[in-house]
Amino acid sequence: MIVYIRYISTPVLAGVLCLCLASCSSEPEKSAPVPNRTDHAVDFSGFWELDYGQSDNIQVNLNGLVRDVKKTNRARAQSSGVYQQAGGGMMVGGTTNSGASVIGLAQMADLVTKSQLMEIEQDEHHIKVKREEDFALTCEFYLGQYHTVETPLGKEMCGWNRHQMIFKMVLPEGLTIQHIMSLGPEGQRLNVATTVTSDQVTSPFTVDRVYSRYEPSDDGYSCKMTISRGRVCTTESQ
Amino acid sequence: MYHRVAVIKKGWVLLALLCFPVFLATTTLAQAPADPALVAHPVGQVDLRVDHSTPEQRMLDIGLAIFSPGIPLNEASHSMLGIFPEIRKAEAQFMPVLLRQVLLTANAWGVVRVLPDEQIISELLVTGKIRQSNGSRLELAIKAMDATGRQWLDKTYVDEASPLDYPVTEGSDPYIDLYRQIANDLLEYRQGLDERQLGAIRQVAFLRYAASLSEEAFGGYLQQDEQGIYSVVRLPADGDPMIARVERIRDQEHLFVDTVDEQYVDLFNEMVATYSLWREYSREQAIYKEDYQQRAQTKERIGRRGTFSAMEQTYNTYKQTKIQEQDLDEMATGFNNEVAPTVMESSGRVFRLSGNLNSQYNEWRGILREIFELETGLPAGS
Repeated sequence: MIVYIRYISTPVLAGVLCLCLASCSSEPEKSAPVPNRTDHAVDFSGFWELDYGQSDNIQVNLNGLVRDVKKTNRARAQSSGVYQQAGGGMMVGGTTNSGASVIGLAQMADLVTKSQLMEIEQDEHHIKVKREEDFALTCEFYLGQYHTVETPLGKEMCGWNRHQMIFKMVLPEGLTIQHIMSLGPEGQRLNVATTVTSDQVTSPFTVDRVYSRYEPSDDGYSCKMTISRGRVCTTESQ
Repeated sequence: MYHRVAVIKKGWVLLALLCFPVFLATTTLAQAPADPALVAHPVGQVDLRVDHSTPEQRMLDIGLAIFSPGIPLNEASHSMLGIFPEIRKAEAQFMPVLLRQVLLTANAWGVVRVLPDEQIISELLVTGKIRQSNGSRLELAIKAMDATGRQWLDKTYVDEASPLDYPVTEGSDPYIDLYRQIANDLLEYRQGLDERQLGAIRQVAFLRYAASLSEEAFGGYLQQDEQGIYSVVRLPADGDPMIARVERIRDQEHLFVDTVDEQYVDLFNEMVATYSLWREYSREQAIYKEDYQQRAQTKERIGRRGTFSAMEQTYNTYKQTKIQEQDLDEMATGFNNEVAPTVMESSGRVFRLSGNLNSQYNEWRGILREIFELETGLPAGS
C-alpha cells in the first residue's frame, strides 16, 4: 500500500487533500435528501381523537424496555467480568441504564404522547399537526427531501418516507424524540409511533398511539394560546 | 525521464483543474464579509434632533413606503437565516410606522404618511429593506429620494440591542436609536437645501402627480435631465380650474392614504406588545444557545442527565419556544387577513374597497382617475 501511495504523484495527492479540505470546509450542514421514488404525500388532514383501546399501554412497553436493558447489562457485565447481582439489577458501572433513566424515558414517552386531540391541516407542501396541550408539529415538505430547521434549543427534521410522515427532534442533553405518522386503511385511523431516545439508556422507548377521526362538536367556544394573554377562549357563532 | 516529467506535468494540470473551482469557491466565501470600510457599524446611542423653529415653508411632506421584507426566494434558506416570513411581512409594516413616530417627534416635517406602495408620488419618499431583524440586531437599508429625483439617503443602518433594552417599556423600542439616526440624517440633508430648492421639490411633486392624472395636460410643465432629475419648465396659470381639480383629486387620494395610515397605526398598536416580547425572547434564545454551548464545553450540567426531571425541563423549554413562535407566526399571518374594508366617498358616491391595503389603494386610485377623466374629458394618465 505504501509502495502504491509512493507511486501516486504528489500533485494528485495534493489534489485529493485539497478536495478533502474543501469538503470539510465551513459549508453549513444541509438537509439530507432522501431519494426515495416511492415517497408520496398522504392526506392526514382532519380532526383526530385518541383511541385508548387501540393504543399501547406504557407499562407493558416499559416492561419490555426493562427486559432489553437487563439483557444489555448482563452482556456488558459478562464481557467486562463485573459481578452480576442476582435478579440482574439495571445499574452496571458508568451512568447509563440507571433505573431513574429507564423509568424517566418511559415517563418522557408518556409526556410527549399525552395529547388526546389533534387537528391536522395539510396542503401541497405543508402540514401542521395541532396537538392538544402541546406545540404543533409542522413541516414544509418536498418529496425526496427532508426539511431541517435548527433553532437554538434543538434541531428538527421532517419529511416523507414512503407513505409515512416523520418528525424528528434532536434536543439538548442527549434527548431525541421521533414521531412517525401513518394512515390506517380507509383513512379512518391515524397511527403515531413515538420513539424517545436518551443517551443515558441503551435502548429507545417506542409508544404507538392510535387516533380515530371525529367531527368536532359545536361547543360554542374555541381556545388558543397567546404569548401576551396565555390561553384565550372566544365564543363562536356558527 | 521525459515520460515521467509528462506524467508529473499532467498531474499538476489535473491538480490545477481540481483545485481551481475549490479555490474560487473558498476565496469567494472568504470575501463574503464585505470590505470593512463598507460594513455598516451600529449607530450607538443617538439623541433625536428636534427642530423647534422650522418655518412651515421648509417643511416637506414625507411618504414612508411599507418596507421590503427582504425574504429570500429560496424557502429552504429561511430557517438557516432565522427568518420567519410572516413575521418579516408584519415587521415591514411595523417599522415604517415607528419611523413615522420618530419623524413626527422631530417636529421638522409636514405630513408624514405610511404608504402601501412606493409608486405614490411624495415630496420626499423613504423606502427601506429589512436585511436582518431579530432580538439582538436590526439592519435596514434605507433610501430617501425627493420628488425631483434627488437622492438624500442610500445607507445601511445597524443597531444592536443591549440587555437594558429589555423588557421593552411602553412607547420605546430596542432599536429606537436607529430610527433616530435616520431622522437626524434626513434633517441634516434638508438643512443643506435652500428655500428655492425646497419650493422646487413641492412644485415638482404636485406637477408629477398632475401628469400622472393626465400626461397630455401636464406633461409639458416638467422636464427630466439625463440623470433623471425633474425640473419645472413652466408653471400653470394662476386660477387654472384644472389645477383646482387636480388638487381636489389629490386631496381625495390623501384622504384614502390617511385612512389606510390609521389601519397601519392600529396594526402597530395591536402588534407592539407581542412583538416586543418576541424580540426579547428571540434575544434570550440566542443567549441561551451561547450559554448552552459554553456549558457543554465545560461539561457543566443542570440536574442529572437522563432523569425524567432533566428531560422534562429540556422538553418544556423547547415546547414553550415552539408555542410562542407558532403563536406569533399565526398572529402575523392574521395581520394580512384582518385588514378591514375601507369605505370612501367621492363626488357624492360611496365606494367600498376590499382586499389588502395595496389592492384597495390601487382600486381607489383607479376610481379617482376615472372621475378625473369624466370631469375633464382628458385621457387619464398612468
